[in-house]
Amino acid sequence: MNVQVPQFLRSDATDMAGLGTSPIPAEPYYRPEFFELEREAIFRRTWLQIGHVSELPRPGTFIVRPVEVANASVLLTRGRDGAIRAFHNVCTHRGTQLVSEAEGARTSFTCPYHAWTFGNDGELRAAPDAERFYVDTADCALKKIAVDVCAGLIFINLAPSPKESLREFLGEMAEQLEALPVAKATTFSEYVYDIDANWKLTYDNFQENYHLRVVHPDTSGAGIGPDNPFGYPLSFGFFGPHRSQTIWLNPAATVEPIQGMAYGKLAEFAVGEGLGGLPANPAYLALFPNFFMLGSIGTPFSHTVMPISATRSRGVIRFYWVGDDDSASKRFAREYSTAAGVDIHSEDRAIIEAGQQGLNSGALKHIHFQEQEVLLRHFFQTVMDHVDAYRATLSDPS
Amino acid sequence: MSGADQRLPPGFEALDPYVDTWALETADQRAKQRLVTPEAERTAFYEAAKPLLTKALGFLDGKPIGQFDEREARLMDLMLSLAHVSLAVEVQRANEAKHAQGAKHITIVRSAAAAP
Ligand code: FES
Ligand SMILES: [Fe+2]
Repeated sequence: MNVQVPQFLRSDATDMAGLGTSPIPAEPYYRPEFFELEREAIFRRTWLQIGHVSELPRPGTFIVRPVEVANASVLLTRGRDGAIRAFHNVCTHRGTQLVSEAEGARTSFTCPYHAWTFGNDGELRAAPDAERFYVDTADCALKKIAVDVCAGLIFINLAPSPKESLREFLGEMAEQLEALPVAKATTFSEYVYDIDANWKLTYDNFQENYHLRVVHPDTSGAGIGPDNPFGYPLSFGFFGPHRSQTIWLNPAATVEPIQGMAYGKLAEFAVGEGLGGLPANPAYLALFPNFFMLGSIGTPFSHTVMPISATRSRGVIRFYWVGDDDSASKRFAREYSTAAGVDIHSEDRAIIEAGQQGLNSGALKHIHFQEQEVLLRHFFQTVMDHVDAYRATLSDPS
Repeated sequence: MSGADQRLPPGFEALDPYVDTWALETADQRAKQRLVTPEAERTAFYEAAKPLLTKALGFLDGKPIGQFDEREARLMDLMLSLAHVSLAVEVQRANEAKHAQGAKHITIVRSAAAAP
């Protein structure tokens, strides 16, 4: 069959968004000193995606999530009032980690050391022999963390008083996120990986398509085509610290038998799930610092890169679904989509580690971003802006 | 094989030889089994299961997923393994061995099916 394929037109990204064309210094991708700056300048004061509302389905449920870069463990609860709250998972008596489970349903938490007991609103409810203390129990509540929700995604901000609300931080991205499957999702599939690579190097891999035909010779699928051999996006967008691209798809891509069946079913189900209106060319939304999401019907996934050290990170990929697997066909199609994601991301993971090894040698003073790697350039510039602003506060005596 | 010994619903007896290897309960077990199974075995499972996929899903779709009996649950798990194996056979093909090296570093920790 002959399919009319619209001619792909490369979006001219030269000097886009005033980002210039200079080489990029390599040290920020491996130096521990730079990582220490990022820890303070970015991760202790920026809104970070930490979960999804479906993980706290009812009052009384809780989750505990590590944020290694801040040496933090975060306890998220849903109270009787339905509100989601976040606390440092730290007993206020002498600092013991309060909750050891990753998730559960419990409205109070008893410290394993001396049995101080806290409500899921963070208040200290009871402390054995409380009268011997020189402090009021009312002053011993769990330490609160700022938390808010957009499009079903839960964000925290570790700053004692964040300089902007989540909505202010997200700006125009909020509305774009609300249009994606994640906003309606009630469940998700998840896979994770550890990687010996810097969080930015890891994240950058997923912001460019230049590598597709080399790293994913078999799994690029509809991502590349004869008139767009690199799979460059249809357009780029810049929104303060955030950015987006519209993914180009080859309408004449070859589809294998089971592959075609699985994605065909997902497209059918999406209509029933109220997702039929999603554009054929999916939006890729990247939220500063470490989260991005692809809003496609068959592969509605988010990817969060959690930094651990200058050269180590942890990836969390979630495929967000609306409604339970209520039929065998739906379960099959969702499992296929998730497994196909693993295939692609495992190829990425391997090549990113190879990149890190090279950078660790210190052989390069600079790396280079081409015109179509403009999202990487914007990301790097945003990181530098944060680090420079933080450095300025260190040297400013006032 | 008598009815009482049957491990799969009637009509799917041809898949019985694959039950021990491929009727696995979690998505991560299924993904990992794909990675460690030799090519010939993988292909044999794909060739046997693929012609029955539409029939199996049609049959299983007739019942709410929470009400599957043991045989139906096994058939479901076999079809889910086929999803993983088909990626090796249809998509990765000759590159599957190389792919398997990297894929073992990824862990599926939750499938929507296992949601609470
Ligand atoms: S440290 Fe928690 S009760 Fe003592
Ligand atoms: Fe990739």
